[in-house]
Amino acid sequence: MLKTFAGALAVAAALAVPGAQALDVDPALKDYKKSAGVEGSLKSVGSDTLNNLMALWAEGFAKEYPSVKIEIEGKGSGTAPPALIGGTAQFGPMSRPMKAGELDDFEKKYGYKPTAVRVAVDALAVFVNKDNPIKCLSLTQLDAMFSKTRKKGGKEDIKTWGQLGATGEWATKPISLYGRNSASGTYGYFKEVGLGDGDYKDSVKEQPGSSAVVQGIASDKFAIGYSGVGYKTADVRIVPLSAKDGGACFDASSDNAYAGDFPITRFLYVYVNAKPGTKIDPLRAEFVKFVFSKQGQTGVIKDGFFPIPSAIAGQDLKAIGVE
Amino acid sequence: MTSTMPDTTAAAPTPKSPGRRTDLRSRGEPALWGLGGALAIGVTMILGFLALVLANGIATFIPKPITVVTEIGGTVTAGEPFRSEVFKPTPDVIAALSPEWQARIDAADGFARRTLYRVGNFDLYGEDFRWIPDYAVATFAQPKSLMFVERMEWGPFVGTVKGFKLDGADQIFTGLDDPKFAKIHDESRARAREIRTIERSRISDINHTLESARLELRKIEMQSGRSSSAYAAAEAGLTSRSTALQREYDTLAAEVQKLREANATNTLTLADIGGREKLIEFSALVRLYPANDMNFVQKLRVYFLRWGEFLTGEPREANTEGGVFPAIFGTAAMTLLMVIVVAPFGVITALYLREYAKQGRLVSFVRISVNNLAGVPSIVYGVFGLGFFAYVLGGSIDALFYPERLPNPTFGTGGLLWSALTLALLTVPVVIVATEEALAAVPRSMREGSLASGASKWQTIRYIVLPRAMPGIMTGVILAMARGAGEVAPLMLVGVVKLAPELPIDGIFPFVHLERSFMHLGFHIFDVGFQSRNAEAGKPMVFVTTVLLIGLVTIINATAIIMRNRLKKRFAGSQF
Repeated sequence: MLKTFAGALAVAAALAVPGAQALDVDPALKDYKKSAGVEGSLKSVGSDTLNNLMALWAEGFAKEYPSVKIEIEGKGSGTAPPALIGGTAQFGPMSRPMKAGELDDFEKKYGYKPTAVRVAVDALAVFVNKDNPIKCLSLTQLDAMFSKTRKKGGKEDIKTWGQLGATGEWATKPISLYGRNSASGTYGYFKEVGLGDGDYKDSVKEQPGSSAVVQGIASDKFAIGYSGVGYKTADVRIVPLSAKDGGACFDASSDNAYAGDFPITRFLYVYVNAKPGTKIDPLRAEFVKFVFSKQGQTGVIKDGFFPIPSAIAGQDLKAIGVE
Repeated sequence: MTSTMPDTTAAAPTPKSPGRRTDLRSRGEPALWGLGGALAIGVTMILGFLALVLANGIATFIPKPITVVTEIGGTVTAGEPFRSEVFKPTPDVIAALSPEWQARIDAADGFARRTLYRVGNFDLYGEDFRWIPDYAVATFAQPKSLMFVERMEWGPFVGTVKGFKLDGADQIFTGLDDPKFAKIHDESRARAREIRTIERSRISDINHTLESARLELRKIEMQSGRSSSAYAAAEAGLTSRSTALQREYDTLAAEVQKLREANATNTLTLADIGGREKLIEFSALVRLYPANDMNFVQKLRVYFLRWGEFLTGEPREANTEGGVFPAIFGTAAMTLLMVIVVAPFGVITALYLREYAKQGRLVSFVRISVNNLAGVPSIVYGVFGLGFFAYVLGGSIDALFYPERLPNPTFGTGGLLWSALTLALLTVPVVIVATEEALAAVPRSMREGSLASGASKWQTIRYIVLPRAMPGIMTGVILAMARGAGEVAPLMLVGVVKLAPELPIDGIFPFVHLERSFMHLGFHIFDVGFQSRNAEAGKPMVFVTTVLLIGLVTIINATAIIMRNRLKKRFAGSQF
């Protein structure tokens, strides 16, 4: 998973590395031009991480096409495949790729696989309270904190902040764990990449939304949790991560995400029911075009995530038969 | 009595006076204290909750001053002080401080204070809030030139006005009372509104006509096939119509483009506290005010303008800004629709159970079942609504009446109608129980009098029993309404969505669109509180929306109570 991500971005990264301070969209992306006769209703069911982003795109799209009705529902990535299969939604935003079982279910009904459109880049950030002294964590340490199976090879169960080198009042304080509920793609992705497909500890407090994780950590001084980088507030801090114990630490910045250095970087997807070799209907095509336009990717920055380079946008537009 | 007498006499020899204790108990004193205490606790909790919500909700829109903080390192920050707290700085931080601050922190047992500033300018900084500890501050200032700018996009901007352009020509900014400044702002906003009207009504009409023509064609194709003559005729009709409409559309689009270009020449240059400039169009400016240079009346004006925008506007920026009008409308429409369904159903059921059914085992079993229904968790109703109403009923409606729209569902997904029906199911036990009680309370003598005068059973119910039971029935409906308006969990499954600016009632035939998803204040609270990107900025909005929801439920209830009292008065004279 991680390798495919780094590979996909390797080509694009050199072309489009945004400035260090103010994040900007890839200048090669086109301005959105509206076309006539686009009408109908769109419904999106899926990821909670992408909920605000879909809402921002819907607002922007509705500005261009005021008569298009767009409804957004975001209760977790797990709700996207059934909605797409049942035809109750045209778009299925997901914060993880579909699992083999979900792809099979879709194929059983339609005879082809759904198309994944990569709409944004997210560094899945590990948050701690703003007063937390921890400087850096490795994935192994994270696994030892969050998992009861410790598939990443951590030697001992990490239960207190003292075991991570914190001193003073922190040394004996137990670590309070926050995470997402199991319908969430963030839950699944962190389990796969962070825990090596191990099991979460029972003590992880499962939250119903990405923002709820951050709020939990903000009010709990000894907490740690994972959520999309876009949900950062002034009350929490993002911990730099390293892939291995003692390895170099990388902050969850856009540069590190594009270069693949930040170890839990992922794409955010929107799944579409598109028959290979045919064109999708104009309404959906225009929406995807809007997502990959300058305006659409500005929305990504607005929501705190990282925009997609134009090379990837081009690939994905081609995949659903949109020029 | 006789049994307690020996007890008292037996206890009499002890030196303590048990007589007083018995006295207290017999007067019911402990029970009185217990009941009174319970009531007091209940009232305190309710008042405390209301006070918390009201205090936070009402204060949200008050314009606050902007403070400029210069830190010892030279960093300058401008923002609204949001809240402050005490915290324990780490030893290495304290070690780097000046001896004076070290002594002060030491005197406070190692605690220091810090303040959260709302700095705005998310497009420049990538953050909207910043914590600044007191020990890092060199100076505070509140310069009068600083403006708080509310924008259509990117959230607020805190900074100064550098200058503005009128029709492309540079102007010098002298102050907000410059008539030219107000004039272009008004004109730009008017143009933006005009663009919206053109797009919302006229272009939308064209698109709607085109879409329905396309659907009509698809219907003919499904009925008589692609090769039929009817299809060919319809296709030719569609082509000619769409060219005409396309022409009309092009004219409107050109009109919009002209308005947009006019707006693009009227711009405002803002600068943040560090001098970084930002250009925005006047049409994207909601309002700006000099936060540190306002009198009471000006503050009040901003306060009420913000309330006005909140109550009548549409949400912006993924629901964190703008108004909640679609949510207010959705909540009210859904609640009323629910009442229309639940009231007749509940009353008819209760009438049958009380007046017609033979009282026996079966009836009491039905009654117990109804009472148990009230205890089913509301999310179960949501699942039932989704499975039965939306998928089974809605799916069949789609297959029968809207086959040309498939696979896009019309009724086969959550919507206003299904939500109202689900909530009606949820609240029907309340109405049944209340109605039965009200019917039982009508004196037997009145029924007998009516029957003795030769009225039939139905006439007795219709003219004697029902009118007198009406106030009681209304009470049941009011309770049902209050429960329905505040319920969110089942609605999340059957039709409430994060964003649906399209109202369920509008000017396009058939005017009432029961199949549309809608926004709901209760869900809006959940969404803004737990799902918005910036939880900090969302928190005040949660309180405001809660105040609004409580207000809405109060208004609906008050209306129903007034109606009930009128009914009561009408029959007050005729009771013996």
